[in-house]
Amino acid sequence: MSTTTEAKAPEPAGVAASTSSTRKPRPAVRKIKLSTRLKRDRSMLLMTLPAVLLLVVFAYIPMMGNVIAWQKFSPYTGFFFSPWVGWENFVRVFSNPQFLNAVENTLFITLFQIVFYFPVPIVLALLLNSVLSPRLKTSIQAIVYLPHFFSWVLVITIFQQMFGGAGLISQALRAAGREPLTIMSNPDTFLVLVTSQAIWKDAGWGIIIFLAALSTVDPSQYEAAAVDGAGKWRRMWHITLPALRPVIILLLILRLGDALTVGFEQLYLQRDAVGAARSEVIDTYVYFQGVQYGDWGFAAAAGLMKGVVSLALVLGANKLAHVFGEAGVYKKS
Amino acid sequence: MKTSPDRQPLTQAPIHRRSFLGMLAAGAAVIGVPSLLSACGGTASTGSSNAGGVALTSDHLPTYVPITYVEPDYPSVNGSVPGFETIPTELVQSIKAPPGKGSSFTAMTPLWGTPPPTSGNAYYAAVDEMLGSTLKFQIADGNEYGTVLATALAAPKDLPDWVSVPTWNIPPRFATEVVPNVFQDITQYVSGDKIKKWPNLANIPTAAWKYSSFDGKVYGLPFPTGVINDAIFYRDDVLTGLGITPDVTNGQDLIDLMVEVTDPATKRYGAHDMWTAATIIHGVVPKWKVGDDGQLLHRVETEEYRAALEWNAAVFASGAVHPDVDNTWAKQLFWDGEVVILNDGIGSWHENLAQMLSTNPTWSQKPFAPFGADGGEPTYFKGNPCNIFSFLKKTDDEDRILELLDLANVIAAPFGTVEFDLIANGVEGVHYERGADGLPVPTDLAKTELQPTYMFLVDGPETNARVQYPGFVKASSEFSQLAAGYAEEPVFWGLQISEPDQYASIGQPFEDLEKDISRGRKSITDLDAAVATWKSAGGDELRGFYQHLLDES
Repeated sequence: MSTTTEAKAPEPAGVAASTSSTRKPRPAVRKIKLSTRLKRDRSMLLMTLPAVLLLVVFAYIPMMGNVIAWQKFSPYTGFFFSPWVGWENFVRVFSNPQFLNAVENTLFITLFQIVFYFPVPIVLALLLNSVLSPRLKTSIQAIVYLPHFFSWVLVITIFQQMFGGAGLISQALRAAGREPLTIMSNPDTFLVLVTSQAIWKDAGWGIIIFLAALSTVDPSQYEAAAVDGAGKWRRMWHITLPALRPVIILLLILRLGDALTVGFEQLYLQRDAVGAARSEVIDTYVYFQGVQYGDWGFAAAAGLMKGVVSLALVLGANKLAHVFGEAGVYKKS
Repeated sequence: MKTSPDRQPLTQAPIHRRSFLGMLAAGAAVIGVPSLLSACGGTASTGSSNAGGVALTSDHLPTYVPITYVEPDYPSVNGSVPGFETIPTELVQSIKAPPGKGSSFTAMTPLWGTPPPTSGNAYYAAVDEMLGSTLKFQIADGNEYGTVLATALAAPKDLPDWVSVPTWNIPPRFATEVVPNVFQDITQYVSGDKIKKWPNLANIPTAAWKYSSFDGKVYGLPFPTGVINDAIFYRDDVLTGLGITPDVTNGQDLIDLMVEVTDPATKRYGAHDMWTAATIIHGVVPKWKVGDDGQLLHRVETEEYRAALEWNAAVFASGAVHPDVDNTWAKQLFWDGEVVILNDGIGSWHENLAQMLSTNPTWSQKPFAPFGADGGEPTYFKGNPCNIFSFLKKTDDEDRILELLDLANVIAAPFGTVEFDLIANGVEGVHYERGADGLPVPTDLAKTELQPTYMFLVDGPETNARVQYPGFVKASSEFSQLAAGYAEEPVFWGLQISEPDQYASIGQPFEDLEKDISRGRKSITDLDAAVATWKSAGGDELRGFYQHLLDES
């Protein structure tokens, strides 16, 4: 399984590696005194200190701001003087039909994108991996990476210019005596629209990790399989996909972690075109309640619910990964 | 509490027909009944106010002493902006010597354009010299100003000395939690006749000062505007090209015209989202309406609102609306002629001319003469007396406050003065040259250095002297006079009312609903359900709050 651990190459690998390395030796060193352990791991601890500090300053301290979910908070009064209201904000969140609509939309978009968007980079990576000419391969890579660096405003403008009611395709259809497109303003197909935009923008970027995983597969495995008479599909099924499996599962878990973050800008920008009934998600809802209308405590409670659900999804998915014999994001030793 | 019916602000306030504001002020001033709350409040230094932070007396307001240096060609009618066909050659120096004491102040203003360089800027240097003090600007993008402002206000210690606040960027709880804690109460310096020390500030109409008052105290320095904010514009050059002379006297006429000019094959559509137009021609109140029984009706409960929604839905259903209204910038479509009819702010008219005339000398737009949806008389509800005001950071240093008011007095100099001219046009020979017709022609340096900045702090009464666009002053002034003739003050006009913040978001579903019904995604019957939700979500309590304010008067 040496390939699998190496395959987790770029960013998530750091998380996985550090958690497992700090946890693994625990049972063995339990009897050693704390001071001895501190002394022994001194240099290691020192090295992790900057990262821990960053986490504390930029993640854990701000997290305490969540107390405003239990307050009638005003930024001008501050945490210390805003009155406490108990669970009132949460009660209001759950009795609000607009919030429930936002949750429903968020879940629909998430599920739809996990099914139809998540596999796209894998397929792309497999296709790209079968391209032999290195020059062609890097050119394609560059082209599919590029949209990732466009802002959402630009992406939606491009879609508008192409597929809008007065866009290029609609004008051509009109000239041919056909009905123009309405996909940019049709609430019923909005789910497909946002997913297509996400694929166009980010699918190329998503293939990086899979390509890295593929590059670690020993070519001699393919050669041996070919000698044994395995065809193209057999080799993919028995060599390529097993090599990718840990990465796929890891990324799926991480994706679930921010599954409820479904693209604030993308949806906010298209809100008027399709209506709030389909485009309101938890993020836009929190923005309107908190920033626009100053109901900070309420917005924080709604946002916190999102955090809780996301955490549950990650923990659940990780558990599931263990059932399938994978390492997942982390594992108790 | 003091009763002071003899104070000037009342009698000198602009006279409006059926003016509730006048009634409120007069009633309050004569009877002078303080509400229970303010009576309990104890020792308010000036004025008294009720639960909504509305003053019950008007003796905190500055005396109005109008100055006219130049007689307008189109005088103000019922609050319309006066128009000037020529720029006077003899300018009046309204301030004898630079009043500043050489201090340095910081100021935060919005800008819808490219920020000018703040150091080595000859324009700022010239104005600073005229002021006698230095104003250091922190200019923020106007479209993002709300965010910038909200962030700045949350850290009052680092706030600039002078902060411009557009009313549409006012963050929640501004009146109750920000103004009294962060900004300077200037009532004691400007109330009554004390304002006469600064004649250019005394020239600002009372309504604008009233709107800049919170809790019975003057905090803001106003940038007053005319009472007509919006109009329905059409590209008259496009219509002329099509051989159409518009004759629109009712709502159906307008829809018919939009349909007539629509030609998708050439990417020409009759209309953008006409929601504002719908509210104008149907006379939809901005917020509340006093019903026949004296009870308040919220705008979403009125017949006019329903009719406006139905009309706008009919506009969308007619096929005349540009298919990409929600994803493309309205102005761009109007500029390009992809949209022929558009509702927009009055101020957009000359901005569009400035934008388009240099590349397309025949580009032109005109407003439709005011009309009612049923062909009857229209009702224009007056806009706020000022849409932007500025505040001074709270300080114990009285000298600095007085010095800033001295500077404000220079910046607020009216049309026809040396000060106005310098702020508007910069320095002759540097920022403009006199053209053949005597009009200032901006130099290239003016384009980078001279951006509207000072007017966002404080300004004199609005004037229209944009003579550089042929025919513009006449056309726009005549429209303003005509429309202002139909202007009415909605109930609670020109008052800063601090609503209890739990009602802040209950109106939001209507913003979405207006779009949904117009575009046919929801039907007009959904309005009833939304109104019922609004009522139970606090709408009725909000009505009670306003009813109390109304009954108090």
